[in-house]
Amino acid sequence: MISETLSSLGQSLGQGNDILGLIIQVSWLGFFVAYMFYGQRLQIKIMLKEIESSLFKLQLIRDRGRIMAISTIKEISKTNDDLEARVDRLLEHLYIPPVELDPSGIIKRLEHIVDVREFRFKDEVKLMIPHADETQVNNLAFMLDVVLELNQLYKLVRHFYLSGKKTSSFYIILQLQMILPEIMKESEAYASALTTFKAGQPIGDGIGALVAARLMNGKENREIARDVVVSEVPIEGRTVYVLKAKGPGGNGGKPGEAIRQILEEKEGKIARIVIIDAAQKLEGEKPGEVMEGTGVAIGGPGVDKFKVEEVAAKYKIPLGIVLIKEGVGDVISAMRKEISDSVDEVILRIRRIIRETTKEGDLVIIAGIGNTMGIAQ
Amino acid sequence: MEEPASAAKRISYFFIVIVFVLLALSFISLYQAVETYMKYKTADFTTLVLSVGAITLSAYLLMQMRKQPMKLGFEPLKVFTTVQCSNCDFKNTREFQNGDFVLKKAEACPKCNTPTFVSSIYREATEEEKK
Repeated sequence: MISETLSSLGQSLGQGNDILGLIIQVSWLGFFVAYMFYGQRLQIKIMLKEIESSLFKLQLIRDRGRIMAISTIKEISKTNDDLEARVDRLLEHLYIPPVELDPSGIIKRLEHIVDVREFRFKDEVKLMIPHADETQVNNLAFMLDVVLELNQLYKLVRHFYLSGKKTSSFYIILQLQMILPEIMKESEAYASALTTFKAGQPIGDGIGALVAARLMNGKENREIARDVVVSEVPIEGRTVYVLKAKGPGGNGGKPGEAIRQILEEKEGKIARIVIIDAAQKLEGEKPGEVMEGTGVAIGGPGVDKFKVEEVAAKYKIPLGIVLIKEGVGDVISAMRKEISDSVDEVILRIRRIIRETTKEGDLVIIAGIGNTMGIAQ
Repeated sequence: MEEPASAAKRISYFFIVIVFVLLALSFISLYQAVETYMKYKTADFTTLVLSVGAITLSAYLLMQMRKQPMKLGFEPLKVFTTVQCSNCDFKNTREFQNGDFVLKKAEACPKCNTPTFVSSIYREATEEEKK
């Protein structure tokens, strides 16, 4: 049976079929020559097709985000007056950082521009919804900021896609294709953030604020700097100034200014500053892993980081950090259980650091950094 | 802003026609191969392999077209709220409700009647994230 089968197969492709063999050889040679001259073009076509499909997905995310932001504003404001045009205008809002040619005083200029931008977003929300409370204004301003980021991402990818297509430049297309998976990951995280911001749930970035909130629970608090509250908490016989951004609306506050304020109030008589913040995990690390270190862990444009470094250096105060590791997607989406569960371990570490590095009766600052959405004080 | 993208997944009708034509030709070719075998008791393996291959390829392409719409990241996540008593060890986890926030005062503790508070709000990681 097997021999019969093999012989019939041989007959089909066999020696008698010389013309077929010639055709196969010529087509193979033709294909080889064509590939030599047009191989790169073919590769460019395939890469452009892949980029096009990601660009389409990016456009869908941006559009869905825009619709979500508009419908949320409509739900609260209960009017339709010119809302879409106003939101669209905001989505094209540009931010130009200060000039770096003369670096002297750049932090002050940067802080001013960042503040103006933040106020502009909040003012726009207040104009659209005059009766909105502080929490709603903050959450909606964050939502609009996320949609703006999505719009910028989409436009940037589209720009390089069209440039690459126009010039047929292999290197433009290759570079875009290389960074595209990261861009898509980031845009999906933004999409998830919109759902979370709409519901006002705590996000991964708020872990520092969550630790501070647990420490200040039941204690009196006061606003020490714009959108930052502080409580005096006795821990291990020391007086600890615990600070966080004012919640439960989405807010990062000005922790740098708050730390500077406390240090100036106490004339630098602070034994230690401990900063708690979320940090990006490396591949292989687990979300919610806790790590310690030295320095100032405050994200953002660098204004607050600069202020803390400057004032700590002025009074020679040791700086400690406790970091909670999390992935890019976890930072702005609803807080993962593993991250939320790390709070107890962080508090244990803070107690140990205070015991080991300060004396009884000392003053200590604990700063819980991050967006305090969904976390009160 | 330009016009928003309308469809969740674009499928070219030209592509669908091509796939169906390919599928029809493969079945005809397969039928001819079987008929030849029945008549002459000789298997035409080239036609057989090519037609089965083309049927498999068309079936794969059709399955790809039937795929679920792409995930954009807006899918709602399951979020939970843990309510804890500030006096005893009572703890209760329920689904997140609009208006919940950490340190929000909640209902009285069923064990000791002390007011409870929201101690944490979290989501379970998806299977994909756990990998």
